[in-house]
Amino acid sequence: MLSLENISVGYDATDVLHGVSVTARPGELTVILGANGSGKTTLFKTISGLLRTRSGSIEYNGQTIRRTRPSSIVKLGIAQCPEGRHLFGKMSVEKNLRLGTYPHRNRTRTEEILSDVLDLFPILKEKAAQPAGSLSGGQQQMVSIGRALMSDPSLLILDEPSMGLAPLVVEQVLESIAQINRNGIGVLLSEQNARASLSIAHRGYVLAEGRVVLADDADKLLDNPQVQAAYLGL
Amino acid sequence: MTLFIQQLFNGIALGGIYCLAAIGLTLVFGVLRIPNLAHGALYMLGAYVTYFFLTTVGVPYVAAIGIAALILFVLGVLLERLVFHPLRNAPHTHHMIAAIGAMFFFQSVAQVIWGADFKRMETPISGSLQILGAEISAQRIVIIVTAVIVLGLLTWFIKRSIHGQTIEAIEQDRTGAALVGINPAMVSMLTLGLSALLVTIAAGLVSPINLLSPTMGAALNLKVFAIIILGGLGSLPGAIVGSFALAIAETMTSTYISSAVGEAVAFIVLVAVLAIRPTGLFAKAVQR
Repeated sequence: MLSLENISVGYDATDVLHGVSVTARPGELTVILGANGSGKTTLFKTISGLLRTRSGSIEYNGQTIRRTRPSSIVKLGIAQCPEGRHLFGKMSVEKNLRLGTYPHRNRTRTEEILSDVLDLFPILKEKAAQPAGSLSGGQQQMVSIGRALMSDPSLLILDEPSMGLAPLVVEQVLESIAQINRNGIGVLLSEQNARASLSIAHRGYVLAEGRVVLADDADKLLDNPQVQAAYLGL
Repeated sequence: MTLFIQQLFNGIALGGIYCLAAIGLTLVFGVLRIPNLAHGALYMLGAYVTYFFLTTVGVPYVAAIGIAALILFVLGVLLERLVFHPLRNAPHTHHMIAAIGAMFFFQSVAQVIWGADFKRMETPISGSLQILGAEISAQRIVIIVTAVIVLGLLTWFIKRSIHGQTIEAIEQDRTGAALVGINPAMVSMLTLGLSALLVTIAAGLVSPINLLSPTMGAALNLKVFAIIILGGLGSLPGAIVGSFALAIAETMTSTYISSAVGEAVAFIVLVAVLAIRPTGLFAKAVQR
């Protein structure tokens, strides 16, 4: 279980997150909704150790990770597909995926997960030898998710995986995420697409201007008039 | 024709030396994003440590280079950890000042231990080979063969082994690398160590031909910086092609025009490249 208690994070003088508390239960799909600039990316960067909190605590499975470095956090089982994907653009798709195994480097496990990832995204089989940077946006997103899965995580963090993708591709990507979650991996997802993401989620949080304004079960959020007004255009 | 073949081999041998020196520098630039101005000083130290093991301790030539390369690897790691790592969030000028400081420090250390006068390393490999009528010294053949083998091993390491791939991963995307569990601090130390190891092999190979002095690194420094700018900063193929192109141009102009022009050729090429194609021949699109 990942739990963030009352964390504040900022760049330079100003805080972006003000006392945010979020919990992601093991095996569940938790979604963070919020407009651009609400602090979703900052929140995820903080969990992965790319940013440091000014105050508050972060625990994963009972272990404090507030001051742990990013490479060690991945070893603990939290993998992230960051916003902008951050692939190794000049390396082949296969190398990108295989570098994802860096935290464990277990050969048998690598082949197992690799075949799972290729089952999940069959298109990557055809593209395995191509430089990751030459792929379409949707395919790059698949490589990014695949690379994160290769580390054998217990929690997968996805920062707006649907950003910049065509609606049909968004549907595919979200379906894959639901599939990953059904396979038993906890997912923490940030989205602007509220209806689609809440429909596959267990729990949801709404972030606005660096504060959690709503936290509830996903189906309750779908029926919540505030969410409907702000995100569903009802 | 005989003279040409003779000089071609000399050029290729010199190219091998430049290559071993330039690749480390370009890797360090790719990973740490800094020009390591102390690179020439590491070359100089590598030469002296090889000299020490060969003449003072008396181990065989190959072993002397091997031991020196390992010692310089450790020194490179320490240089990263103690000098560059603490400055990782500082402005770029700080790195350059620190690197120049390290360079002077290494020069002084060499001067204190081995004195300021030139030292000669006895050629452990004698004799020569007749190739197409030209007389090629065995030392130059050894240089060429060793450079090819080392480059082959290095390419395998960087492209195929997962630890070597972390170097390219960091170069291509720092955030992405951190998120797949690669620790940039470790890779930076590995890269600087590797660059010191490679430049020591170069120094050990070339020392029997050249003389040793505490400032011997300065000339090499200028040349390898010209090479990696010519090839494109951070580019491996660029460093390799640039090294051989520059070395052959240098030996040929020295032979057919004058040795003074030969020394200047690197900088004529450098000025031309900066004027026509400032990103270098094999430029990686560097986005900051």
